[in-house]
Amino acid sequence: MYNSPVLYDQSETIKEKLSFNDKRKKHLIIYDQKAAGDVKQALTAHSQEELNYEPFEIEDAIKLQDLRTLLYSQKMGTHLYIASNWDHAATVFAEATEAGFTEDEIQTVIYGPKRRYIYCMKCYHTSEISDGDEVQCARCDAYMEVGPFFSKVRKGYIGYPFIPN
Amino acid sequence: MFKSTNLDLFTFPFTNFKNKTYRYSNDLVALSEDKVNFMKITPEYKVQIKRKREMLEEQPEVRYQSFPHTMEMQWEFVELLIDLSINKYPEHFSVEKDGDQWTFTNHILGETETFIFGDESSLSLEPYDMIGRHFHNDFMLMVNRDDNFYLEVAQESFAALFSPNWNLGMSFNEIHGPVPFVSRDGVELTDRIRKFLLTIEPGAPRTRVNWNLMADRWDVNYETMDIWGPERDKVTAENAGKLVHLRVEEQWFIRMPRSNAILFVLDTQFLPLEDLVLRPEWLETTYFNLADIPDYMAEYKGMAPFLPQSVEYLENLMNSMKVK
Ligand code: HEM
Ligand SMILES: [Zn+2]
Repeated sequence: MYNSPVLYDQSETIKEKLSFNDKRKKHLIIYDQKAAGDVKQALTAHSQEELNYEPFEIEDAIKLQDLRTLLYSQKMGTHLYIASNWDHAATVFAEATEAGFTEDEIQTVIYGPKRRYIYCMKCYHTSEISDGDEVQCARCDAYMEVGPFFSKVRKGYIGYPFIPN
Repeated sequence: MFKSTNLDLFTFPFTNFKNKTYRYSNDLVALSEDKVNFMKITPEYKVQIKRKREMLEEQPEVRYQSFPHTMEMQWEFVELLIDLSINKYPEHFSVEKDGDQWTFTNHILGETETFIFGDESSLSLEPYDMIGRHFHNDFMLMVNRDDNFYLEVAQESFAALFSPNWNLGMSFNEIHGPVPFVSRDGVELTDRIRKFLLTIEPGAPRTRVNWNLMADRWDVNYETMDIWGPERDKVTAENAGKLVHLRVEEQWFIRMPRSNAILFVLDTQFLPLEDLVLRPEWLETTYFNLADIPDYMAEYKGMAPFLPQSVEYLENLMNSMKVK
């Protein structure tokens, strides 16, 4: 869907650490090696109660076919936890929303830096940016102030053009 | 640049006076039966259409955006505009229907559009884009889903701070993110107005008037901010009468009966401040309202750098009229 949620640095799904949502019937945990230790710990801490969970570890590269089969086979009431670096999380998030998960049903814990993107209002190109309030467009070189508004369709923050003096 | 020449057709934006100056509010009002049809042909019609079409030709990505799944709604829009235009101006517009074969004639421009209703391949433009080019308004289609409205088609040439390209797919709330949308008493307005929009029914559109000032500039959008941003500084109390224009957007919100979408129609009109002398009561009301605009609103509207000069100009103008 064109207005599917996307993962961005201010996504409401992003949490500091894993915490299970007790209202859900089932917990699907997709994680990579960086997060493996924390995931195990969270599960042990929760072991008194019976937790219906299914873990899925991402090896070096994501096997998309396996991931899709897993996501599409989930029933209603499954809560998805993604614990990984940014790139893995972005892939899993996109596949999950494609498979019908809404933002309310996803929790994301990011290991390492988050990526940020800007949408250039001069040439309509989305490009990655580092920290800072002022950047230059990777395609047309326009100077832009990074605005606070994000478009799910353009997948970036608005870049207000200005001419430096 | 066009300006309104028949002031009887100009929508003066300020209805309040002195002790009740302009603030954001839920200012949507109902329309009497004779006013529900937004069609309006003014002396500027041909200039506006020419300008609108130039912009659509030169900047298609900036001025027109749609999602591919909107075709059925686009045809509903085509039918609506043809009906409204013929109802109001049978001398200017007509249609002939032979089954699905339609021929729409614009007699002012001497143009005909022939197409098979419901079949996009019978047109070189998208249906919404084609019919929209016969009317000087901007048109935004907001699709109603899950108690919100999402922008799915937009044709825009004149509205201020509006980008079809940037706003495509956004909800009513996301679109109004940049607006400091609070009432005089500090009430948050976005959700309140979104809920109000849900109650609009087919056949009973609502209207409101938005306004802004612009400095020697037609296009005030985010795409060209680098250009108009610095230009605002050249306004002085001496040249404001010519450079600064009162920019009025008369707006209609129309519920589409088949798709349930809300069609947002804008009629943008311009009047240079100096022309306010033609209506002294407008001059005075404008002065009182502009003199009381809070900083946060002036900042958002982009007129902070030249508002004081404009107010000073109006004050001088009023004084010189009293002297005479
Ligand atoms: C439903 C269709 C509507 C659409 C597509 C729409 C779109 C927009 C856009 C694009 C802006 C500029 C935002 C920016 O700066 O990026 C805006 C501003 C604004 N809108 Fe809406 N709007 C709609 C309905 C309404 C309604 C119903 C109201 C009020 C009752 C309203 C009140 C305002 C106000 C007060 C502003 C600030 C404008 C200014 O101060 O110059 N809008 N709108
Ligand atoms: Zn660019």
